[in-house]
Amino acid sequence: MGDMLKERVAVVTGAGRGIGRGVALGLAAQGAKVVVNDFGVNTDGSAPSTGPAFDVVNEIKAAGGDGIANSDSVATWDGGANIINTAVKHFGRIDILVTCAGILRDRMIFNMSEEEFDSVLAVHLKGTFTCVRHAAPLMREQRFGRIITFSSGSGLFGNPGQANYGSAKAAISGLTKVIARDLGKYGVTANSICPVAATRMTLTPEVMRAREIRKQQGIIREERALNQLEQLHPEDVAPMVTFLASDFARNVNGQFFLCAGGSVSLIALPRPFKTIYKRGRWTLDELDELVPQTLAEGLVNPAPPRAS
Amino acid sequence: MGTRLQGKVAVITGGGRGIGRGIALLMAQEGAAVVVNDLGGEVSGGGGSASAADTVVGEIKSAGGQAVANYDSVADFAAAEHIVATAVKAFGHLDILVNNAGILRDRMIFNLSEEDWDAVIAVHLKGSFNCTRHATRQMREQKSAGRIISMSSTSGLYGNSGQANYGAAKDGIAGLTRVVSRDVGKYGITVNAIAPAAATRMTATVSQKAREIRQQRGVASMGSEARAALPRPQLEPDDVAPFATYLASDAAANINGQTFVVMGGIISLLNYPAPVRTITAPGRWTPEEIAALFPSTLGMDLVNPAPAQTE
Repeated sequence: MGDMLKERVAVVTGAGRGIGRGVALGLAAQGAKVVVNDFGVNTDGSAPSTGPAFDVVNEIKAAGGDGIANSDSVATWDGGANIINTAVKHFGRIDILVTCAGILRDRMIFNMSEEEFDSVLAVHLKGTFTCVRHAAPLMREQRFGRIITFSSGSGLFGNPGQANYGSAKAAISGLTKVIARDLGKYGVTANSICPVAATRMTLTPEVMRAREIRKQQGIIREERALNQLEQLHPEDVAPMVTFLASDFARNVNGQFFLCAGGSVSLIALPRPFKTIYKRGRWTLDELDELVPQTLAEGLVNPAPPRAS
Repeated sequence: MGTRLQGKVAVITGGGRGIGRGIALLMAQEGAAVVVNDLGGEVSGGGGSASAADTVVGEIKSAGGQAVANYDSVADFAAAEHIVATAVKAFGHLDILVNNAGILRDRMIFNLSEEDWDAVIAVHLKGSFNCTRHATRQMREQKSAGRIISMSSTSGLYGNSGQANYGAAKDGIAGLTRVVSRDVGKYGITVNAIAPAAATRMTATVSQKAREIRQQRGVASMGSEARAALPRPQLEPDDVAPFATYLASDAAANINGQTFVVMGGIISLLNYPAPVRTITAPGRWTPEEIAALFPSTLGMDLVNPAPAQTE
C-alpha cells in the first residue's frame, strides 16, 4: 500500500469493470477510501445489477483498503446526488471524483435513432455533469478537489459510426475545460483522460471480426495484431489517474492525457495554426482566391468521396 | 447577386437573427433557395414568435431571392425532420445545412441548475445532431454533394469560465463534426465547424462583471485577447457569412472535418487535438514513477488556467 492518497475520499463511477475498476483499485492501493459506483449494466446500458460494484469493494477490502458500493445511475440528477452523498455519508467528505461510467451504441449518423443518441449522451455527458455538479460545491467549500473525467480519441480525433459517443466525449472535454476555470481558484483541478484499452466495450465481436479480416488480408501482420489492443490493459490507466488525484498534481489543471498501456501523452488541444486576416469583411471573390493557397492548402479529406 | 450556390437549397437554423441571419442573406444572394428556420425565442430559450424568420424571408425575397420560413424547434427530433422536409417540399432537395440555432444560460458550475444544463445541451448539441441526422439521410439518398456547417465556439474549444453547459455543447458539436465528416465524406458530403466571435444579442447577455472576473483571473479567452487588438472593435455577426458561404460552395469540396475560428476579418484553421509529449514504460507505470517524472516531462511548461488563490 502506498500513501499518496492517505485520508482522501474518492468516488469512481463505472467502477465495477474495466478501466473504472482499475482506477478504484489503484486509488484504494494509495490509501483512498473509495465509493465504487456501478449501475451494473451491459455495454449498451441494459440490465442493471448491483453485483459488479460489490465485487470490486470486496477486492479493495481483501487488499486491506476501504470502500463502499453504490449502484445508482449517473444519468439522473438524483442519481448523481446520491453517489456523491454516499461518499459524504460514509466517509465524511469527497476529495476525488473520477467519472468513468459509459455505454456504447455505434451506428452511422444517417441510421442513428434518437434513442441511440440520447442514451449515450445521458450516461456519458449528463452523467459526468450530475456527479461534477454535486461534487463541485463541496470541493469549493473545502478548497480542495480533484476531478478526472474520461474523454476519448473518438471525439477528439473523430471515429466513424460514433456520432453519439464522439459528441458526448468531446462535450466532456469542453465541460472539463470550463470547470477547470470555474473551480481552479478554489484549489480544485479538473483534467481528462483519453484511454485506449482492451475492455468489453472496445473488444466487441464486431471489432474482433474486423481485426480477423484485416489479418487475413495482410493489412496487419499477425504479431502486430496481437500486440495491439489486447496488450493495452484497462488497469494501465489507473497510475496516471492516481497521480492526477494526488497532491503532486496540484497545479495540473485543464489538461488532457492519452493513456494507452505504458504510454502517457499530453494532448495539445485545438488552437489556430493558420490564419488569414483582413481589416473588415472578406468578400467571396477574395476567399475563392486566397483560401486554397492558405487555410486549405495541404488539407486532407479524412473520407474522400467515392465514385458510386 | 452571385451564382456560387445557384440551384442549391440551404437550411439555416436560428436564421432569424444575428449570425444565422447574415448567413441566410448571403447564401440567398449567391443563388441558394433558403429555409430560414427560427423559433423566434428569447436568448434564454423562452418564448417564440414567427416574426424573426418571416422578417429574414421578406428581406431575401425583396432582394430577388427565394426563401421560406420555418418555426420548428431543432431540439425536437421529429420537428427537425420537419425542417428538412420543409426544404424538400418547397425546393425539391437539400444541399446545405447550417446548424446555428443556440441559446445561452451562463452560471458557474457549482450553481448551474439541471434545467439550465438540459436546455442549452438540447438546443445546441441535440439540435445539431437532430438536423444533421435527418439532413445526412436526405443528402445521402440524393447522391449529390452536400454541405453541413455547424457552429462551435471558443467557449468549448478553449474553455470559458461560467459556461459549463454552453462549452460542453459547443465542444460536443466539434466532436460531432469530426465524427460525421468521416461517416458521410465518401458520399460527397463535407462537414465542418465554425467557432464564431461576434457581437450579437446572445453575447450581450454575458455580464460585464463576468468579463471582468475572467480578465482578472487571467482566464480571458484567446478570442477576447485577439479582439482587443482588432482595428474594428465591434465584431459584426455578418462577418461570419462569407466564410460559411465559401464552405458551402463547390470551391470547398475537399475541406472536410475541420474547425475554423471566424472573428471579424480573422479566419483561422484549428489544429486537430494531438499527442505532443509522451512518456513510455515497458510495462505499467506506478503512480510514484509518474509523480517523479511528470514535472520534467509531460508537465514541463504547463500553465494552470486558474491557479488556486489563497483566501
